[in-house]
Amino acid sequence: MTKPPIDLLQGTVDVLILRTLAWEPMHGYGVARFIRQRTEGVLTIESAALYQALHRLERKKWIRAEWGLSENNRRAKYYSLTAEGRRQLREETATWRSYAEAVFKVLEPV
Amino acid sequence: MGRPRRYLRFPWRSSSRLRADLDEELKFYFDMRTRELVEQGMTDADARREAVREFGDVEYTKRYCLAEDAMSRREERRTDLVAELRQDMAHSWRTFRRSPGFAAIAVLTLALGIGANTAIFSVVNGLLLRDLPYGNPDRLVRVWGAHRDSGVDRSQLSAGDFIDLRTRQRSFSALGAFAWGGGTYIGSGDPVRLSGARVDANVLKALGVRPYLGRIFAVGEDSSGVNPTIVLGFGAWRRVFGSDSTIVGKAVNISGRSTTVIGVLPPTFFFPTMAEAEIFTPLDLTPVLRDVNRTRKFHYLGVVGKLRPGTTVTRAGTELKGIMAQLERDFPQSNSNMTVATVGMRDAVVGDTRPALLVLLGASLLVLLIACANVAGMLLSRAVSRRQELAVRAALGAGRARLVRQMMTESLVLAVGGGAVGLAVALWGTRALVASAGDRLPAASQVTVDATVLLTALAVSIASGVVFGLIPALAASRGIQLALKESGRGTSSGVSRHRMRTALVTGQLALAVMLLVGAGLLVRSLVGLQKRDLGYSIESTLTFELMLAGARYDSAAAQDQFFDALYTRLAALPGVVAVGGSGNIPMRGGAMASLAIDGRPQPEGRLPEVGYQPVSDNLFKAMGVPLERGRAFGPQDHKDAPPVVILSESAARAYWPAGDPIGARVRLGPNPNDPWMTVVGIVGDVRMGVDGESRPTAYVPSRQDHWGGMAIVMRTTTDPASMLPAVRREVRAIDPTIPVSDAYSMKQVRAQGLTDRRLPMQLMAAFAVLALVLAAVGVYGVMAYSVAARTREIGVRVALGAQPRNVFGIVVRQGMGAAAAGLTLGLLGAAALGKVLTSLLYGVKPTDVVTFVGVAGVLLAVVLAACLAPARRAVRVDPLEALRSE
Repeated sequence: MTKPPIDLLQGTVDVLILRTLAWEPMHGYGVARFIRQRTEGVLTIESAALYQALHRLERKKWIRAEWGLSENNRRAKYYSLTAEGRRQLREETATWRSYAEAVFKVLEPV
Repeated sequence: MGRPRRYLRFPWRSSSRLRADLDEELKFYFDMRTRELVEQGMTDADARREAVREFGDVEYTKRYCLAEDAMSRREERRTDLVAELRQDMAHSWRTFRRSPGFAAIAVLTLALGIGANTAIFSVVNGLLLRDLPYGNPDRLVRVWGAHRDSGVDRSQLSAGDFIDLRTRQRSFSALGAFAWGGGTYIGSGDPVRLSGARVDANVLKALGVRPYLGRIFAVGEDSSGVNPTIVLGFGAWRRVFGSDSTIVGKAVNISGRSTTVIGVLPPTFFFPTMAEAEIFTPLDLTPVLRDVNRTRKFHYLGVVGKLRPGTTVTRAGTELKGIMAQLERDFPQSNSNMTVATVGMRDAVVGDTRPALLVLLGASLLVLLIACANVAGMLLSRAVSRRQELAVRAALGAGRARLVRQMMTESLVLAVGGGAVGLAVALWGTRALVASAGDRLPAASQVTVDATVLLTALAVSIASGVVFGLIPALAASRGIQLALKESGRGTSSGVSRHRMRTALVTGQLALAVMLLVGAGLLVRSLVGLQKRDLGYSIESTLTFELMLAGARYDSAAAQDQFFDALYTRLAALPGVVAVGGSGNIPMRGGAMASLAIDGRPQPEGRLPEVGYQPVSDNLFKAMGVPLERGRAFGPQDHKDAPPVVILSESAARAYWPAGDPIGARVRLGPNPNDPWMTVVGIVGDVRMGVDGESRPTAYVPSRQDHWGGMAIVMRTTTDPASMLPAVRREVRAIDPTIPVSDAYSMKQVRAQGLTDRRLPMQLMAAFAVLALVLAAVGVYGVMAYSVAARTREIGVRVALGAQPRNVFGIVVRQGMGAAAAGLTLGLLGAAALGKVLTSLLYGVKPTDVVTFVGVAGVLLAVVLAACLAPARRAVRVDPLEALRSE
C-alpha cells in the first residue's frame, strides 16, 4: 500500500517547522528527520522547501539561529523558536484545527 | 548586558560570510543524510547522489536562502541602530541622573544662551527683517526736508515744494503728503482725544493699504469741502466705536463736525513714522497754497512715495535733490540751503532703534558663545573623568565609532534639552521684551516667536551639541588604551586638555568683560540723563493736553475765555502752586519760526530759525524756569494789545551778543506784513526732549497766538497724579466735550522719553549679568577640576611643609591668572568695539575710565568668589590620604 505522498502548501511547512522546534532547538537535518518520522512518510517535505522555510522564518523573526555542536561534535546551525514564533504557532494551530473540523463536518457528518 | 552576547553570536555579517554559513549548513545536512542512507545499506556514492536528488533544487534553495538572509541582515542592522540609540539615550539619562547638577547646569546654560538669543532675534526679526504691513515695502520711500546749513535732515516739507516735487519728478508712481491731524470724538460718553493724520489720497495708495471695512480716500477727494469724511484705524474702531461693523456710512461727531466714516483700516496697519495715528482725514493743501507767505515757508508735510519699478532710493533722491536745487535758485528767500533726504521705508520706520537692536543682537551672540564655551568645558572635563568608564565599555566590545556615538548622544540630549528649555525662555523673554518696549517699538504688534526663530534656536542647540560633543568624544576615544593602563593621573593629554579649558574660560571672561563694559556705559549714560538739569523742574508737576474742538472755539476770544477759566479754577485747587500752559512741553519738542530783527539788514538767504512757543502768563512759574530779566507775560498782553515776546537766554546771547535785547523789536514767522513784536523779558534756557540740548527760543503770549490746544503744566505740593480727578472735574465743569488727554507727571514723561534708552540698557545689563554668572560657573568648573586633578601634588606639597595659606594661594593665583588674561583681552576688545555703542551713549565716552575700572573690580571679585570653594577644598586635602590613594 504505497499511497503517493501529499504535496504540502508553503504555510503548512511553516507551521510544521514551528511545531517541531517547539519541542527543542534543532538543526535543519533534525527538523527534516523529525517530520519524516512523525508523519511516517505520509507527508514528504522536500528538504529544499524545508531549508527555504527555515531561512524565511528566521527573517520573520519567528525562529532564531545559533551555531552549536551536533551529537557527533560537528558545527551545526541550531534553530529555536522565538516568543513571536510561539505566538504564531498558537494562532496557526487554532486555525488548522477549525479548518480541519470544518472539513470533517462535511466529509463525515455525525 | 545583552549587547556583548549578541556581538559574539552574529555581528553584522558580510555577504561572503552569509554564503559560507549557508554552505556549511547545507553540507552538514548532506553529510548527515548520506550517513543515514549508508546505514540503510547504500553505497557511499549512491547515498550521496540520492541525498542530493531527494533534496530538490539545491541552487534555487541557495539563492532563496541568501536573499532571505540578506534581508534579515538589513533589518537587524536597522533595529540595532535604533536599539543602540535608545540604549545610548537611556545611558545618557542614567548618567545625568547620577550627576544631576552637571546636567542641570549644562541645560540651563544652553537654555539661557539660546533663549536670550531667540527672544532678541524674534524682536529683530519682527522689526528689521520682516515685511512692513504695506504692499511692496521695499519700494516705499520716506522723503524728508533737509537744511544744508544746520545739518537738520529730517524736517517737514512746505506745500509749495511738495507740489513742485510731485509734478516734476519721474521716479515715483505715487508721491503723497501727510500732516499731523487728529480730533476729538464726541459721543455719548466722555469725549475721546484721537491722534491722527491728515493724508492726501496718494499716501494710502502708495502704502498699498487695503481697507478692512469700506474704502479709503480716492485721489481727488482731498478737499475737505462740505462733506467731511474719515477713515478709522483698527485700534480706534475697536476701542472707541466698539468694533461696530455697520459703521461705514455713519456720521460721527469729530471735533464738533459731523463726519462720515468711509472705511476702517486693517489691524496690522500702522502709519509709518507716526504709528500713534488712528484716525485719518483728507489733507487739503489749497488754503496754504493760496497764502503766499506760507506756501514755501510753512514746513509741515511729511512725504511718502512709491518708487517706479527699476529705480532706486538713491536715484530717486538724486532726482528730488535736483528739483530742490532748482527751487533754491527760484526762491532763495524761502529755499536757500533747503534740500531733501530720501530714506527707504524700512530704515525710516525702524529708524533709531536699529543701532540698539544690532548691539543687542551682538550681545546675545556673545552670551550664546559663552554658554557654548561653558558646556564645551564641562563636557571636556567630564570626558576626562569618564575615561575609565569608556575604557571598560571599549573592553566589552564597543567600537570606537560606537563610543563616539554614545558621547554624541549625550551632548545631543543635553543640547536638545537646553533647546527645549531655551524655547520656554525665548517665549517668555519675547513677551517680556515686547511688553517692556511698549509702543516705543514701532511695529511691536508684529513681534512674535515664529517658526523660523524656533528652527534657528533648535539648529543652534543641535549644532553646539554636535560640535562640543565631538571634540571630547574623539579625544576620549583616543585615550582609551592609555586610560586602561593608568588611572587618570596627570598625563600629557590631560594637561593639554586642561590648557584648552583654561583657554575657554579666559575667552569667556573676555566676552563677559566686553558685555559688562557695554552695560556699564549704558547704565552710566542713563544715570547721567536722569540726573541731568533740564533747565526746569520736573518734581511734583502734572502735565496734560487739552485740544479745543468745535465751532464755538473758532474765535480767539472763546479760546482765551476757556483757558482763563481753566487757569483760575485749577489755581484755586488745594495743593496747586502754579498753573500754566504752553504749545508743547519741551520734552515733547516744539515748533520753529524764522526770526527777523528790526533795524538789521535782511540776510541773503533764509532767516535764522528759533524755537517758538505760545505760553500762558504763569507758565515759567509753573515750570520753574527762571525769569532772568524784564517781565513775564500778564493779562495786559491780550490779543488786541501790542505784541510782545520773551526770549530765551541763548537766543539773547546769539542775536544780541553785546547789547540788551529788551525793548528790541522782532518778527517771528514768514509773513512780512505781521507787526513787529517787542522783547519784554529773558528767561533761562530749557533743554529739548530728554537728551537734547537747549536751542534759542522765542515765547509769545498764548493770548496773541491761538493754537486751539495747550499742554497744561501744573506745579503741586502733593503727588501730581492725585490731582488728576480734580483736574478732570474742573475741565468738565467748563466744557464737558473737551477731553483731558496725555495726563502724566513730568517724571513719567521723562521716563517715557528714556524708554528707548532704558530698554537696551536693561537688556544689556541682563546679558552682562548672565555672561558674568556663566563665566563664574566656568571658572568654578575649571578650578574645581584642577584641584581634583592635582590632589596628589597638593598632598606632596603639604607633606613637604606647605602651609594652608600657600595652598590657598596656589589655587587663587591660578584663577586670578585666567581672570587677568580674560580681563586684559576683554578690556582691549571693549575699547576696540566701543565705537559701536556711541550712538547709544550720552555724556560718556566709549572708553570711560570709571566704567573700565569698575568692570575690572567686579570681574576680579566674581572670579575670586568662584575660586574660593575649590581653594578651600584644596586646603582641606589630607596629605596622607592623597598619597595613599595613588
